[in-house]
Order: sequence, then structure tokens, then C-alpha cells
Amino acid sequence: MAHTAPDETLALLTRIGQKPGVQSTLILSRETGAIVRTSGLVANDASANPNATLPPAAENGAEGSITEKKSGLQSAEELARLVWGFVNAAGTMINGLDENDEMKLLRLRTKKNELVIVPDSKYLLVVVHDTPPA
Amino acid sequence: MSDPRSRAAAIEEKRAKLLAIKREREQRNRDLQSSRQSLGHTPGEGSGYSTPIRTTDRKDIDNLVNALVGQGRSSSTGPRDGASPARGSRPQSLGSGGQLSGGDATSPIRTNGRVVQMVSSQTQTMSTDDTVTYNEPALPKAKPEVAMYSRAVQTSEEWTPPGQQSTGVGDDTVDWEGQSTSPRTSKRISKREREREDEIRTNIRREVEEELKALQLGGTDALGGTAEPNFPSRTLNDDELKAVTSSEDFLDFIERSSKVIERALETEYDILKDYALGSMIDEEDEDGYGTSKGKKGRRVKEVAQFYSERWSKKRTITSLDFSPKFPELILASYTKSPLHPHDPTGLLQVWNIHTPSTPEYTFHSPSDICVAKFSPFHPNLILGGTYSGQVLLWDTRSRNPAPVQRTPLTGSGHTHPIYCLDIVGTQNAHNIISASTDGVVCGWSVDMLAQPQEGLELQAPDKKTEDCSPTAIAFSEADPTYFLAGTEEGSIYTCHRYDRAGAKAGVDQRVVYRGHTAPVMSIDFHPQRGPLDLGDLVLSSSVDWSVKLWRVKPPASVAAGGTTGNIHAVKPLLEIAREDLVYDARWNPVRPSVFAAVDGAGTLELWDLNLDVEVPVAKVVPSEDSARGLARRGLNKVAWEKNEGKKVAVGGLDGVVTLFEVGADLGGTEGVKAEEWAKLKRAVGRWDPKSAVVAGASAGMFSPVNGR
Repeated sequence: MAHTAPDETLALLTRIGQKPGVQSTLILSRETGAIVRTSGLVANDASANPNATLPPAAENGAEGSITEKKSGLQSAEELARLVWGFVNAAGTMINGLDENDEMKLLRLRTKKNELVIVPDSKYLLVVVHDTPPA
Repeated sequence: MSDPRSRAAAIEEKRAKLLAIKREREQRNRDLQSSRQSLGHTPGEGSGYSTPIRTTDRKDIDNLVNALVGQGRSSSTGPRDGASPARGSRPQSLGSGGQLSGGDATSPIRTNGRVVQMVSSQTQTMSTDDTVTYNEPALPKAKPEVAMYSRAVQTSEEWTPPGQQSTGVGDDTVDWEGQSTSPRTSKRISKREREREDEIRTNIRREVEEELKALQLGGTDALGGTAEPNFPSRTLNDDELKAVTSSEDFLDFIERSSKVIERALETEYDILKDYALGSMIDEEDEDGYGTSKGKKGRRVKEVAQFYSERWSKKRTITSLDFSPKFPELILASYTKSPLHPHDPTGLLQVWNIHTPSTPEYTFHSPSDICVAKFSPFHPNLILGGTYSGQVLLWDTRSRNPAPVQRTPLTGSGHTHPIYCLDIVGTQNAHNIISASTDGVVCGWSVDMLAQPQEGLELQAPDKKTEDCSPTAIAFSEADPTYFLAGTEEGSIYTCHRYDRAGAKAGVDQRVVYRGHTAPVMSIDFHPQRGPLDLGDLVLSSSVDWSVKLWRVKPPASVAAGGTTGNIHAVKPLLEIAREDLVYDARWNPVRPSVFAAVDGAGTLELWDLNLDVEVPVAKVVPSEDSARGLARRGLNKVAWEKNEGKKVAVGGLDGVVTLFEVGADLGGTEGVKAEEWAKLKRAVGRWDPKSAVVAGASAGMFSPVNGR
């Protein structure tokens, strides 16, 4: 059975990255915390693999530079590390509550924005977006 | 070498000073400890951990300590070390080190070493306090002085209880201090030893600093301690990246998680909203495009529009259906797009009410999809009929957009476009019934689409030579063995799936519902949900600018009263003339007298037969998106949400699915009164006698007006 091409699937990701309000997206490996894919983030480490960054669409690049200015989380590594630590801590907590339970979704609301984290057995998807104007 | 008394006064003075300094340090230590503890280390771990070692390996430690302490004691470098905050944290570094290295039992040697280091460092600092006062020249005198007062200094309460270590190591220190020979060994100081001491000290400091750093970096994660220090440098190279991004797991994950994210982002309701803050604008009362005016309960409000720039553009909607299991899912099938000749011709998108910007699922077919439906018996299955004459089956569990099953294009199936499709039967025994425009009706098993289970060719009773071309079919909920077929020429026929007494399979030769003068676009049986059975009421719409209401005679009664040879043309109960082509008309699933109709002018009309049979209760036009730059277009299809009847979706030539929510008078299970059925029944009774059967019909054809 032919499955959807990887490109098409990754287009889903690109689209999420371009949704209004979305500042950045980030995919990590659950096990090692390695960055698989990012958008809207700046890699501050020169050794970071440039291929991990989504091809910046025209508006994506512009947005990126804007969010860079206004948000404090512009470094992919920094965000990755913090999120990874947070997710693991949350996972430990859930395990502590119930051995057989599993974490499905993390929504972390801050004063400035919201992080939506989808943890999975192998990967993590993190989306940082503006909170609805309240 | 020895004149302690001469310095006694000075020493006392210095001691007071030192005490103050110690207190200060302790304070610092405590601060440090508490900050470290707040990082996730339980205070008990450190001391609890050091105790067993002390008791078990006491001798060893003592020996080691003695050796080390000798150096430490006499060292003049003490002050330097003591000034660094790392000293205070060393005891803790033992605790955390033990945690990080994963268990005391497994690495006794290492931990012993650490204990020794720690202890020695403490003694160093103690001796430091002395040596500060003497400086280098005084060193050799250390022995008698220590003998005199070291105990007092070292057991002083202020010094011993630095946090976790207080009870364990502090007491221990005192113990061996008393019995040890350290003062003597301290005399045997040499430069080499001092250097070694320095080395050890710097090592310790480095170790501690590393641990501290790791702790700060790693936050609260205790287990990941080993992985954390090198975490930021972990980058995947090209090959790894490629392997990851093309792996099935990854794609699966993306697909799933992006849907979740999408839903999360689209949810407009802000759960953190504080209604006490700011002024609220009540948008309920906003009247405008996409919203019908009128009495509150009859209001129709536009909820959402579903359109994909990439896929929906220039395609026409051919059918709409709400999922019976998941009321938030709407499927829409589309014709081919002239803009994208290389895209799959047929398109089917399943929209989620909560995420208007992206379809939940997208399916393709090699030919235009003319009709599509959710299987009422299996929430994952979607059935479609194509222009090429295939019946397709998609599965939402499959990541493949192509159909999982399809019927063959052979003589045994359809070779003409399928515009009519239905699933009839029960949960455990149901069939797909499809009808193509050449009059062929096939029954299929969901499990086996290779070959039709039953076949039937419809022939108009009066014009045997011509094809009877069904454009709409409808099954009665009560009796799945027959159905109504609306045809291209306007007549509606009763069709039997099987031979039965007095009637052969195929079009019933005795009854024809004649009224429409143009192709029938839809037929809809009244849903049987109420206290009274109105299942014999049928709504039909046609491009002859009318909606008609019929009363269907059950085939049994037709057969009983049937006379042979004559065709009995039944007239509609009610004719509702409209101002445009009516493409679809559907009963509300919960309100007996409410139905929705869409027309070529692009209007959705809501009717309540109990209130008015000439003017719709509400009229509404889907809002236009100026960005899409589309003129208002005709509406093709209308579908009600099946469980509550509160939402109605319309779609048309411009490929936009628009979802409306109707007021309490027009839908929704709340406020449904049993009398609505009775009222409609009475109304039907009033209409019935007038809609007489055309001449030539025998009296026996009539079923009593209020017979049911």
C-alpha cells in the first residue's frame, strides 16, 4: 500500500508553522532530546544541522525574524532542552501517579504565549503560539 | 617550636573572629543547600547515605582519612580553599554524586573515596581556621595547639551542622579527631604533599562545579543526569535526519500530532478567560451576512465554512454527510478540478467542525465522486459512487487516501455514473445499494465488492423502450425491501428489490408518483423518531422549481388493492413552488415538520410545515469570503447533523461547505413537543383528500386518510 509521501506529511508541519499566531514549532526525539525539525527558531549553535530547520517559506522567514525580536525563546537548543526536561519531569510525575498511565498532551499557558506539546513514544511536537487575545 | 601560652590571648581573639566568619559561611552553605534541594534532592538522602558507609567501612575510612588529614591539617592553602563556596557544597556533592552514580552498593570504592575526600576537606577547613592565625611560620606549632583546643573548635555547634551532613560526618569528624594521630602527622609536611593536596582540592572543586552545572542545566530530571551534560551538543547529522524524517513512525507521529495541535489551536474558547475583566461584546445579537433575521428560536447562524484553497478550489460539491458516530465530522465529495489536471480526479474531504482550516481526512479516487456517505454501521468506513461507475470504500484508519476497496468496472456491475447510493439493513446484515443512471441497481456486500450480491434493472412501466434513469433514491426505514427512485423525467417510482406477491422485482408497475416535470434531485423519507409514525411522508425536490410532499403507499397495501393493467399516478400532498431550481431538500432528523432546502440561487431555506407551507421560516445565504473572490453560487446539497438536528451543512458549486446552527424552534432535541407530530398528522390529513388520485384510479387504491 502506497503511503503518503514524506513531503506531503511534512507539509502538514509547515502549514502548522504558518498558521496565524504560531511562533515556532519544534520536533524532538523523545529519547535523546535531539532536535529533528524546527521552524521559527534560530539555531544558536553553529554545529546544528541546518537541514533540521524547515525550508523557510517566504512569510515564514519574515515571521521568524519578528518572533525572534519579541519572544525570549529564539534559540532552538535552548527551547529543546527546557521542553525536554519539562516533558520528562511531567512524565515522571504521571508515572508516579499511575504506573499504567501515559501522558498525552501538555498545554502550558504562560502570560505571553502557550506551548502545546504532544508527547509520543518516540517524538515530541512542540508548538509555541500566541494566546488568543484576552 | 612550642610556646602556646604567649599567643593564647591573640588566639582567643582570632577565634571569635573566626566564629563570625564560620557563621557567615554556614549561612552561605545553607542557602546553597536549600537552592540545591529545591532542585529536587531530598535532604535525607545525603545523610542517610553517608551513615552506612561510615559504620561499615569505618576502619578503612579512618585510615584513609588519617593519611589525608595529615596533609590537610598542616596545609597553608586552606584559606584559599575555604573561601570558595564550593567547599560547603562538597558534602552535598556526595549525596548527589551517589544519586547520579546510581546506588551505593554498586560502587563502594568510589563512594568511599568521596567520603574521604569530603571529610578531609572539612578537616582542612577546620585547620584552616587555625592556620590563618599563624600563617606559615607557625605551622610547626600546630601539634600542641590542636591537642589543646581543636576539639572545642571542631565540635562547636555552629560548625558541625551544615545541612544534611551535620549528624553524620560532623560527629564522625569529632570522633576520629579525638583518637586520631592527625596532629602528629601534620608535622610531617612536605612540599610534594602539599602539591598533591592542591591537586586533590582542585579536582574536588572541578567535580563539584561540574555537578552543580549539571544540576542547573538538567533541572529536576534525576534520571537523565548522565545524559544532560552533553545534551545541547546532540545534533543529528544529515543521514540520521533523513532516516528519522522518512521513517514510518515519524510520519505517523506527524500526522497524528498535527491534528491534535490543529484542534488545540483552533479551539476558540479561552478557558483562562476572566469575564470580570474587560467589556464583553455579545456577538449573539449580531445580525448580518450568513445569519438570518427573525425571531430568536428561528434564527439560523453560520458557524463555520470549510474550504481548502489547494483542494476545494474550482470543485463542486456533490454530496454532504454527517458522521452518525462522530457528529463533528462532515464529509464532502467533490468533482474534478480543472485547475489541477494532475491531481486525483475525485476528491473526498472529511471536515471536522472544530478545525475549519484543514480537513481531518482527505481521500481520492480516480474518477469524480458523485455521491458519498458514511457507513451508518461502521464509523470508519466511507462509501462513494463515482462517475465511472465504481462503488468505492474508504477507511479512515488507513493513511492511504486511495479507496481500500472498489468494485470492478465490468458488465456485472455499473458502467454508468452512480448518483445514488445507500446502505440498508442492520448492524450485522447490511448491503450497499447503488443505482447508476442507466437504471442498473446493484446490491453489494461491504466485505466483498468484487461482485454484486444482487442486480436489478429499472424500467419505466410506461416507456419500456427507454432507460429509466434514477437520479435519486430513498429507502424507507420501515421496509428496506423497496425504495423510491426519482428519475430524470420527473416521475418517482416504487422499486422492489425482490420478487414478492403481486409484484416482480424492479419498478412497481402499478404506482407512479407523478408531479415533477423535471429531474428529481432528492427524495427523503420522513425520519421515524417521533411518537407517531409519519414514515410514509416523503419529501422530494426537483429542478422544476418545486418541493413536493408525498404520501407513499406501502407496497403491501398497493399489492392488496392492486388492479392490473392500470398505472395509478399519485399526486403529491403538497406542492411548494420555489423561485429557483431546488437541488436538495431534507427533513430535520428530530423535528417532524421542519425541513431544509437549498436552491440554485444559493439560498438555504428552512421550512416548518406546521407554521407555514408557502413561505420558509428562515432564509439564509452562506457568507462570501472576499478573499476567495467568488460570486454567490448555487447550493447543491444540504445535510443535517443526525443526532440533534441542530446543525445543517450546505455545499454548492463553489466547493465551500458552510455549517449553520439553527435556533431552538427549528432543530435540537430540546423543546420538541409530541403535539408537533399530531399537528403534522392532522395537516397531512387535511391535505390528503384534495390531492386526489388522477382519474382512472380505483377507489381501492386509497388508503384511509387517517388510517395510520
